[in-house]
Amino acid sequence: MNALVISDLRRVYRAHTGVIKRKVKEVVAVDGISFEVGEGELFGMLGPNGAGKTTTVKMLTTLLIPTGGRASVLGYDIVKDESKVREHIGFIFGGERGLYWRLSGYDNLRYFASLYRVDPAVSKTRIPYLLDLVGLSGRGDEKVEGYSRGMKQRLHVARTLLHNPDVLFLDEPTIGLDPVGARELRQVVRNLQAENKTILLTTHYMFEADALCDRIAVIDKGKIVALDTPAGLKKHVQDLSVIEIEVFGLRSEALEKIRTESYVDTVSLENRDQRQALMIHSPRGAEAVPDIMAQLDGHRVGRVSVREPTLEDAYIRLVGGTHE
Amino acid sequence: MRKFVFNLRLFFESARLSYIALFRWLRPGTYAASKIIMPLADIMFFTFIGIYANGVEAAPFYVIGNAMHLAAINGIYGVTMSVGGDRWEGTLPYLFGVPGSRLFTFLGRAFFHLLDGSLNVIIGLLLGWLIWQLDFSQANLLLLGAAIATATIATCGMGLALGALGLVTVNIMFINNLFFFLLLIFAGANVPIEQFPNWMQTISQFIPLTRSIAAARLIINGAHLADVQSMLLVELLIGAAYALLGFIIFRTFEYQARLRGTLEAI
Amino acid sequence: MSERNIAIRYIRPILMSAGVLFKQQATDLFVIFTVVIQPMIVALLALWMLGDAVDDAIYIVVGSGMTGLWSGLLFNGGNSITRERWTGTLETIVGLPTAMQVIVIGKNLANVTQSMASMIACYTISSLFFGYPLVVQQPWLFAISLVFTGIAFVSFALILAPLFILNPAVRSFQNGMEFPVFLLSGFLFPILLLPNWTNPISYALPTYWAARALHITSQGLATRHELLFVWAMLLGFSALYLIMSSWIFRAVLRKARVDATLNMQ
Repeated sequence: MNALVISDLRRVYRAHTGVIKRKVKEVVAVDGISFEVGEGELFGMLGPNGAGKTTTVKMLTTLLIPTGGRASVLGYDIVKDESKVREHIGFIFGGERGLYWRLSGYDNLRYFASLYRVDPAVSKTRIPYLLDLVGLSGRGDEKVEGYSRGMKQRLHVARTLLHNPDVLFLDEPTIGLDPVGARELRQVVRNLQAENKTILLTTHYMFEADALCDRIAVIDKGKIVALDTPAGLKKHVQDLSVIEIEVFGLRSEALEKIRTESYVDTVSLENRDQRQALMIHSPRGAEAVPDIMAQLDGHRVGRVSVREPTLEDAYIRLVGGTHE
Repeated sequence: MRKFVFNLRLFFESARLSYIALFRWLRPGTYAASKIIMPLADIMFFTFIGIYANGVEAAPFYVIGNAMHLAAINGIYGVTMSVGGDRWEGTLPYLFGVPGSRLFTFLGRAFFHLLDGSLNVIIGLLLGWLIWQLDFSQANLLLLGAAIATATIATCGMGLALGALGLVTVNIMFINNLFFFLLLIFAGANVPIEQFPNWMQTISQFIPLTRSIAAARLIINGAHLADVQSMLLVELLIGAAYALLGFIIFRTFEYQARLRGTLEAI
Repeated sequence: MSERNIAIRYIRPILMSAGVLFKQQATDLFVIFTVVIQPMIVALLALWMLGDAVDDAIYIVVGSGMTGLWSGLLFNGGNSITRERWTGTLETIVGLPTAMQVIVIGKNLANVTQSMASMIACYTISSLFFGYPLVVQQPWLFAISLVFTGIAFVSFALILAPLFILNPAVRSFQNGMEFPVFLLSGFLFPILLLPNWTNPISYALPTYWAARALHITSQGLATRHELLFVWAMLLGFSALYLIMSSWIFRAVLRKARVDATLNMQ
């Protein structure tokens, strides 16, 4: 049986604008997505900010009621059997909020354990174990307000494991962490994977999805634009090479010219101080470089390199070159 | 002259903005609740206690005292919130960064509270007229208006001092609540001041509302300008003294913050 | 359901929620103001105003204490839910297996217990004022009445809580409810002084029955017949509010999940 079955799930937000003339504005956050996640699978949702990742997670964790479609967790419907769902899931939303800062880490866990209906005898051994699992042993008696951001986010992970849930929803667990903190948290996620939990992870870090996930759904503007294994996603761009060229003061007509060339698949441009990094996906690889250089005639050109595509390139191709 | 016009605009602009900022979340229903239900219930509670003690003939004493005390809702809560509001919103550094007279910014914040606070008192007195037939036939209404304005100005002065204090201390709501209720006791809204022990009577002489409440009672009983003018003048002076104190605290705080670079840290 | 099951599903979450709230609020100046300082000020005023008029000063102690009990419940009960919004935990606790209602019962229990401090504060200041200790005439019946009052207040706050879950701007609502309840409950003057048409509203408020029970037992006026009637009203309302609240909670939480307002600040 699949742990998660999502079919045609949809969510529309209504926002009221204006004070006197109240207008209703509708925003489609999730636009009819469907996918399934197998038991023990680590499933990634990858997409830019505002793509609908968090809304999807909130619906699956029973915190939002879908506007349309249906979904089930371990066979329990997320609207009708909400209390059953809640017993079997754990969830964290990225960021450091959502804990009682005036209490110690240990007291936070003890309180949430009671709300998760964990037997007190069990939580006595489980809390130290979890503190250790997330690398907080020895810090449990300190107040949460003194924790670093990474420690708070790891405490969230411990919180959500108190009742030993079968399914975990991790919504951008590494958001805002420094590289060391993010790496520590990814290690924690790997440990959970080893315990055979079903995990739905959302992120907008490509390498994070690449390194952790069994399968990835790329989501953009509320729709799934691709769903595959990391290797499978890379295949989308396997026929292409990535040419990176450093230019100074690129004129827009030159950029438009390159974009229309037959051997160019996608072009993206990134500004770095006075320089720009031009990234071109092309099936011709290194052979295309002389032609591109001809188009850039009259520009000062820096470093030029040609490389194999990564998951990030696949992602850029899928959601278009417009996103950061 | 141009400087004066500029300052005048600053005055009205900061008055208007602080008012909008304070009440932006208010819908008509909630505004009515905080503008009518709460003040009226407040007056009725103490007036009924008074009636229970001294009979219904005593009602005017309590209605007038408690209605005048309503000026402190704006004077204290309103003014401190719009002075202290900068701190919550993180806009304090910008406020200090602007050129222009700080005095006018500061006073501007008090202006609309003055109007609104007077309105509170008037609503309160109207309630007394409706429920307990409070008799205004002897009253010089213009003079009563002057007493109401005096009460509001004086409590706003105290509000400015507390608001400035709020920039230095953490718990402005505690201070506000405390002073609001202390005024209720010490200004003699419900108990004639002569019944207090001497040390309390001394405090009563140095706070807003004591004289304006007494004056309002006299005016409604038919007193003339000559009977109450010195009381109102002294109360205005007391309000001004509190405002000045607030301004000094405000400036000291600003100077200290610039000196230590702690504007953001507060 | 086994006893152990009840303990894990209800008792423990309630006690833990109460304990956490105590830890959060014990040193909160706003809480201290509401349940200690403000009732003491009301007591002082009432002592001056009513000192000669009432036969028994314990009436003032109980009445002003009740104002603190109600203010504490209204403000701290509401704030304890709004605080969950601020800390970002409101969403989390809605998504837990334990029902929100159970958590709120725990919070209310802590708030009511804490607000009982107002009784002690008012007793102390009144004794100081008079210079001799005041006597509760029927101490055991008074104590039982106090427990019933606690139960009634916990369940009354339970039907207020959904308002706080639904509406982040609660302050003006709280301000609008504080003194009207003082007025209608007969804390410090008999409701007979009020216009007749308000009496049915008073009878629908558990605060009225609580005040009546505490006033008659403290003054030693309680007849068995009257006291049983008042207790029955207190407990009856508690049960009614408990049942109503579970319906309201369900509706409100559903609405919050449809409108996506749980994480609004």
